Amino acid sequence: MSLVKLKNVKKIYQVGEVKVSALKDINLNINKGKFISFIGPSGSGKTTLLNLIGCLDKPTNGEIFINDVKVNQLGRKESAKFRGDNIGFIFQNFNLLPVLTVFENVEYPLIMVHSVPKTERKKRVLTLLEKVGMLDQKDKYPNQLSGGQKQRVAVARALVTNPKIVLADEPTANLDHKTAYRVIKTMHIMKNELGTTFIFATHDPKVVGEVETIYTLEDGLVVDKKIHNDRKGN
Amino acid sequence: MDWSLIKKSIMTGRETKMGNILKIALRNLFRYKRRTLLTASLIAIGVILVVVFGGIANSFKNKVIGILTNSNLADIQIHKKGYISSIDNLPLDLTISGEGINKIENLLKENEQIKAFSKRFRFGSAISNFVQTTNIRLTAVYPEMESQTCPDLPKRIKNSKNEPSNFVRRGELIVPINLAQGLDLKVGSDVVLVANNKDGSVNGITLRVSGISENILGPTGKDGYLHLDDARTLLRIPTSQNEVTEIAIKLNNFDKLDYVYNQLKSELMKFKTQSGKPMYEISTWKELSPFASIVRIIDLLIIVVKIVLIFIVLVSILNVMIMSVYERVSEIGTIASIGTPPGKILSLFLVEGFSLGLISSIVGSLLGIAILFLFSIIKLNFTFGRMELALSPEIQLSEVIFTSLIVIIISVVSSLQPAIKASKLEPVDALRHV
Repeated sequence: MSLVKLKNVKKIYQVGEVKVSALKDINLNINKGKFISFIGPSGSGKTTLLNLIGCLDKPTNGEIFINDVKVNQLGRKESAKFRGDNIGFIFQNFNLLPVLTVFENVEYPLIMVHSVPKTERKKRVLTLLEKVGMLDQKDKYPNQLSGGQKQRVAVARALVTNPKIVLADEPTANLDHKTAYRVIKTMHIMKNELGTTFIFATHDPKVVGEVETIYTLEDGLVVDKKIHNDRKGN
Repeated sequence: MDWSLIKKSIMTGRETKMGNILKIALRNLFRYKRRTLLTASLIAIGVILVVVFGGIANSFKNKVIGILTNSNLADIQIHKKGYISSIDNLPLDLTISGEGINKIENLLKENEQIKAFSKRFRFGSAISNFVQTTNIRLTAVYPEMESQTCPDLPKRIKNSKNEPSNFVRRGELIVPINLAQGLDLKVGSDVVLVANNKDGSVNGITLRVSGISENILGPTGKDGYLHLDDARTLLRIPTSQNEVTEIAIKLNNFDKLDYVYNQLKSELMKFKTQSGKPMYEISTWKELSPFASIVRIIDLLIIVVKIVLIFIVLVSILNVMIMSVYERVSEIGTIASIGTPPGKILSLFLVEGFSLGLISSIVGSLLGIAILFLFSIIKLNFTFGRMELALSPEIQLSEVIFTSLIVIIISVVSSLQPAIKASKLEPVDALRHV
């Protein structure tokens, strides 16, 4: 059964008096527990597609179902709740809150989005920080961390609420080769352990080399789909 | 189902969220230390200004009111209807007499709020030192009643050898300092008072100066004092004819002035003339002293200073919060995308403005109180009219709390617009912001 289903999805942006078609008639089915990536040149519609799946934006036409919920009809508050319950985000620039420590950044969604009791919170945060190898840095602030460390904290934050999907937009763009590889490996391990679906939008061949399914986008259309069944267990 | 457990869990969740919101708000404030410090200092200076100005102005006001009411006006006065409008002429025919005095006295004795009252007879007279003659306004009193009603009056009388409770005895006269200097009168000097009674006939008596009174502000501030029985002799009012021009009243608690005034007024309105009109009129010190206008100006100035403070807080906090939202658009996008509801994003910024207002008002209030405390130790001495005032400024806690509340409320109100803007940002647009 599909976790993410897009039916005839179009997205048109109004730029001044010009209409720009970012996505043209996208139809997709993504199953649970997959590690997939959208690739394509800049302006092909990768980020727009990720934003629509992440309920951050609404399609101009078409329908989006996530876990059988028609998300394109949700209001602002419902969208926020749905995101909090079902989706984790990893950003290119890490987007950690600078005033919170590593521990507090990962804990944030459990307090502000969910009302998880303190002991449970602590257990979940510490477990995830250990899994991403950041437990010894838990009391540091983001400005005391390297790029790779920040992204690993962001991975932990995205996973702490046990989301069904994690969306990662260019997660390795600001990382060096070695660090990027380590972050991808971390996410792969998390996917295997927790069964979370990871969806990337990337140019990075390191990411592309790890994913099971690759969708190639060009000018707002999916022009290619490649499945690598051999990468499931990595 | 254990409802208490569920309720406890919800409450704990709320407290945790609020605690986290407060933590993030405070850390964000201290993240921009210089800006926060500057804004907080500006607001704190505004609060200090209100507290110190309010403390000094209120202290001055209360001091002068105290002098006026405790020295000659008393808190409330009762007159025959029409007396106040012709008070400058000191009319002798508008008096409270006989049965009326008894009824009013009974009324006052029954009222628990009244500490003391004094019957007075005010009139104009000529005074002569056997060489020169001039005019004098006189208040005739029973000293024991007057000293209880105006306890500071005996303190204003210099060179007197009398007990405060008997500051003017029969055959004696207290003369105001100006007149004493003009007529070269000293304690022990003999003077002659010559006055017309209400029928127009003239009479004179000789009295001995027993004290010189300091002048104070107001219509009765330069009156001389004599014993009421001497005034009756001078004005040829028979002793059996109990007659006074006013009854001055001292309250147990000055703060209940308006309450007692209204209470007495409604009682006095029951006394009617034959034509059905009110027989008496009642006035507080405010209607009898020009200082009441100065009090109104002082109150107005305090309000103006508070309004200035409101604008300082409004502009400062609005500026800081707008900057704060603008600088943190990307962060707002992040927290919105991970599911933080718009209401909580709103709370984050409101709590930030609230915290800035709270911290500033606490610091400002404490410094303001410290400055007032310093002033109260060193005392602020100055002359107002002919009155020497030594102010020891103080401010009521309720006034400080009220000022702090204004600051906090305005802080929250001025944070509202930026906070709403933050909560309404579309996450996708906010995340694109660089």
